[in-house]
Amino acid sequence: MTGNPYQDDRGNKDATIANPKGGSDMTPAMGTGKEMNTTDAFLVGDSMTGGYGKDGPDILHDCTIAVNPGEIAVIVGPNGAGKSTGMKAVFGMLNLRQGSVRLDGEDITSLSPQDRVAKGMGFVPQTNNIFTSMTVEENLEMGAFIRKDDFLDTMEQVYGLFPILKDKRNQPAGELSGGQRQQVAVGRALMTQPKVLMLDEPTAGVSPIVMDELFDRIIEVSRTGIPILMVEQNARQALEIADKGYVLVQGRNAFTGTGKDLLADEEVRKSFLGG
Amino acid sequence: MDLFNALVALSNFVIIPAIAYGSQLALGALGVTLIYGILRFSNFAHGDTMAFGAMLAVLITWLLQSMGVSFGPLPTALLALPFAILGTMALVLLTDRVVYRFYREQKAKPVILVIVSMGVMFIMNGLVRFIIGPNDQRFSDGERFIISVREFKALTGLKEGLAIKTTQGITVVVAIICVALLFWFLNRTRTGKSMRAYSDNEDLALLSGINPERVVMYTWLIVAALATTAGVLYGLDKSFKPFVYFQLLLPIFASAIVGGLGSPLGAIAGGFVIAFSEVTITYAWKKVLKYAMPESLEPSSLVQLLSTDYKFAVSFVILIVVLLFKPTGLFKGKSV
Amino acid sequence: MSDTTRTAALFGLVFAMIALTGFMQSWNVALFILNMGLISAIMALGVNLQWGFAGLFNVGVMGFVALGGLAVVLTSAAPVEGAWSAGGWRIVIALLAGAGTIVGTVMVRQRMAKGRARTIATLSILVVGFFLYRGIFDPAVEAVEAINPALQGNLGGLNLPVLLAWPMGGLLAAGVAWLIGKTALGLRSDYLAIATLGIAEIIIAVMKNEDWLARGVKNMVGLDRPVPYEIDLQNTSSFVNRAEGLGLDPATASSLFVKLNYSMLFTVVLVIIFVMAQLALKSPWGRMMRAIRDNEVAAEAMGKDVTNRHLQIFVLGSAVCGIAGAMMTTLDGQLTPGTYQPLRYTFLIWVMVIVGGSGNNLGAVLGGFLIWFLWVQVEPMGLWLMEMITVGMPEGSGLKKHLIDSAAHMRLLTMGVILLLVLRFSPRGLIPEK
Ligand SMILES: Nc1ncnc2c1ncn2[C@@H]1O[C@H](COP(=O)(O)OP(=O)(O)OP(=O)(O)O)[C@@H](O)[C@H]1O
Ligand SMILES: [Mg+2]
Repeated sequence: MTGNPYQDDRGNKDATIANPKGGSDMTPAMGTGKEMNTTDAFLVGDSMTGGYGKDGPDILHDCTIAVNPGEIAVIVGPNGAGKSTGMKAVFGMLNLRQGSVRLDGEDITSLSPQDRVAKGMGFVPQTNNIFTSMTVEENLEMGAFIRKDDFLDTMEQVYGLFPILKDKRNQPAGELSGGQRQQVAVGRALMTQPKVLMLDEPTAGVSPIVMDELFDRIIEVSRTGIPILMVEQNARQALEIADKGYVLVQGRNAFTGTGKDLLADEEVRKSFLGG
Repeated sequence: MDLFNALVALSNFVIIPAIAYGSQLALGALGVTLIYGILRFSNFAHGDTMAFGAMLAVLITWLLQSMGVSFGPLPTALLALPFAILGTMALVLLTDRVVYRFYREQKAKPVILVIVSMGVMFIMNGLVRFIIGPNDQRFSDGERFIISVREFKALTGLKEGLAIKTTQGITVVVAIICVALLFWFLNRTRTGKSMRAYSDNEDLALLSGINPERVVMYTWLIVAALATTAGVLYGLDKSFKPFVYFQLLLPIFASAIVGGLGSPLGAIAGGFVIAFSEVTITYAWKKVLKYAMPESLEPSSLVQLLSTDYKFAVSFVILIVVLLFKPTGLFKGKSV
Repeated sequence: MSDTTRTAALFGLVFAMIALTGFMQSWNVALFILNMGLISAIMALGVNLQWGFAGLFNVGVMGFVALGGLAVVLTSAAPVEGAWSAGGWRIVIALLAGAGTIVGTVMVRQRMAKGRARTIATLSILVVGFFLYRGIFDPAVEAVEAINPALQGNLGGLNLPVLLAWPMGGLLAAGVAWLIGKTALGLRSDYLAIATLGIAEIIIAVMKNEDWLARGVKNMVGLDRPVPYEIDLQNTSSFVNRAEGLGLDPATASSLFVKLNYSMLFTVVLVIIFVMAQLALKSPWGRMMRAIRDNEVAAEAMGKDVTNRHLQIFVLGSAVCGIAGAMMTTLDGQLTPGTYQPLRYTFLIWVMVIVGGSGNNLGAVLGGFLIWFLWVQVEPMGLWLMEMITVGMPEGSGLKKHLIDSAAHMRLLTMGVILLLVLRFSPRGLIPEK
């Protein structure tokens, strides 16, 4: 039983009355009441502490991540370290107990995810990051949902970035390969023309060749001036292109530095990069 | 043997009634499936929403009739329909505001919402009975037939007659218009697409800046329109009786599930599958077979597989068979 | 306020209201409410087993209640003379043929490899089986229904003591529940809700239309009773003397006496079922049930075992509803299939469970009494309310008449409002699960 009686379904799994698919269990951010201000950057998640649900255990402990325009910041760390949780926290999909999130100097800690999208943030989650029942083009359209202006140019740009998507524009996205899906996911996030892009393991389940290509695309995006905050499993490769690297361990900042510094660091290499 | 007459009898007693009934079920099932896809629960109050909408139409029809307004050969109820839809929209939006929204904020599990919808069902059911009473109400007027048995016989010279009731014709035409509009809306408009996106993946919809409250509001508006239309068409075709609408819940759920819950296309297919099975299995085939078979083989009994009282059993057996073989329904809904 | 005092206070309140009914209206009404309250409490216990302890969504309570009623006829009624020889056995054979067809179909589908041959075999078994069944069944039914159709036309029962009908009702309901549970539980997900919704309608349809079974909508009246008849009591001088000693007229006294007898019988059944339910749930079996309910990860690891346990509790809960249904038909003294309606016999029971407190047996019992009390009393209260509202309206005004006539429908509205209020402000019910 959870604490909230309205969420107690008594283990019922009767799909003729309750739709198990596509629902949401996130708790939108409502501000922390404990502001923190330790660093300054374009986008900062500052000293964040918190976990899932009303009274779940803390997953993040005083964790800080930040990124500046023109930069690629990479978060690495073992499975379950809290990387995805950190990203969600920055995007307002988690109710933090302590810390602040600031975008371009403005405190956005209490904004809901939708409002953060409106402020110019784009996010590609690690899982369920496309609308599987909708076509590729509709996925991109949904990405541009908040835009009132003509977004066909942006769509052409995305197709330019990921030509395969143009061929598959009328196919349901759920019928694409893993790598193609990731491209749709990134494309969807780019459609808002975000001021900052957050990617959670964009190369998950992608072959090495496609991965290299995706990294190239990401660098390309970053060259246009969009700051990119990204979680990566392929730590070595990611740190090579990173301007800034964060190593998270059990929800804490274990190491922070430039990508090169971290790659050179003896301890980081031993424990996280396999020697 | 007389295949022409057999075909006419078949159309008259099976095909035409089943198409009309199937259209009504399909409209009802579309509402159920939309709620299931977007609000993620099965709405037990749907039958009573239909009853409420139909009741408004009945009352407005009476009002119009008393003012001497008529719609020529068409039933006055069609003029009342838009107003009834508006009234039903107001009711469901109010219900959502007062009842359901709280549970969305609480992130309540769908099954809790099912129980909530039971409460709403009681209230709507009581409301309808309170306002119009539990009895049968007839409210159709205008021409009764597009073509009557006598006209048909005179026209074709066939022994067997064929009648198409005005209400049957209207049912099919209105259903086609509704379905076309709905599909255009869901597949071509920004709002419609955002509803599909929300149904597919709520979190990602939020991350795309889609406002869930707007999606929910549009869903209720569409459901109110569909439910009222289905209710009015059913009432015109048969008659208006609150309890019957409550009982329609089973074939409507069956249609939605057979088609695949959450799939609008499935809801339509399911409606017709259920309607045709109900009608064919409970129809006494003697009349048709009399023409279709050589005289020596003519059946002596009624050749009725099941008495009409078992029409619910038919919906139910079809449902179980489909679920056993295709657990996600004919059109791959959200998985059952 | 501690939990126990709160519980005691709530129960006290309900019984005080029933007693108040006795003082203010009549003791006949009060005892009627009490007796049906006892039965409702048992039904609520059955649903609570399923929903409260296993999260199973049964919206076919009405069907199991009706089966219990059918069991009363089949157990306690006298066999109709000549019915069995006229066609009774042939009906049984036909039903066996029907069942055999289904079993045969299932076996063919299991044994034979997929393909056209299997499809043809399946279809031919079904078609042949169906016509065989109808061929035997129809004339047999006709023969049975021709026997004294004004009063009989059915097979009758086993002529056993009516008290035996109660466990029989449970057994009958359990058997049907087992069939439903077997098909509807434990696929990738369940579809118990729609299955129960449908089967309940079918059970009622069968009971309404198969006159040979229990006379269908022609109803069975004058069923046996486990208690004395009022008229016999009124003709017993010792009873009449005792009643007059208490200052009661014999008619009222006999009616009260009969109702009190029922109350005692029902209380015994309620207590037995309640104690058994409590013991079962405190046993390792019950702890396992709740563990499955509360912890999905472990449940999935257990796989098939979960399905079996769900099936067990579904059958048990339905049996309890069947017992209650049999008791209700005994109390009524008649079986009237036309009166079973889902709002009253399925959804109202759900209101009882939710309002009382899902997962708490005491809560279910309380909900049973409370909601039943309101179901009965809202009608006069509604009427009174409407009379107050319309007091200023001119006599003979259409609106006034409509409002007063419609007061009867207030109870549905009220039940909805109560359910929604409890769900919202006390979502665990009046007596929450610990
Ligand atoms: N929705 C959730 N509810 C409760 N706990 C969660 C939820 N999602 C993740 N967790 C827990 O939070 C912790 C961190 O998970 P997170 O997904 O952030 O790890 P990660 O670093 O992204 O791992 P990976 O590399 O595998 O993606 C884990 O212990 C996990 O069990
Ligand atoms: Mg992760």
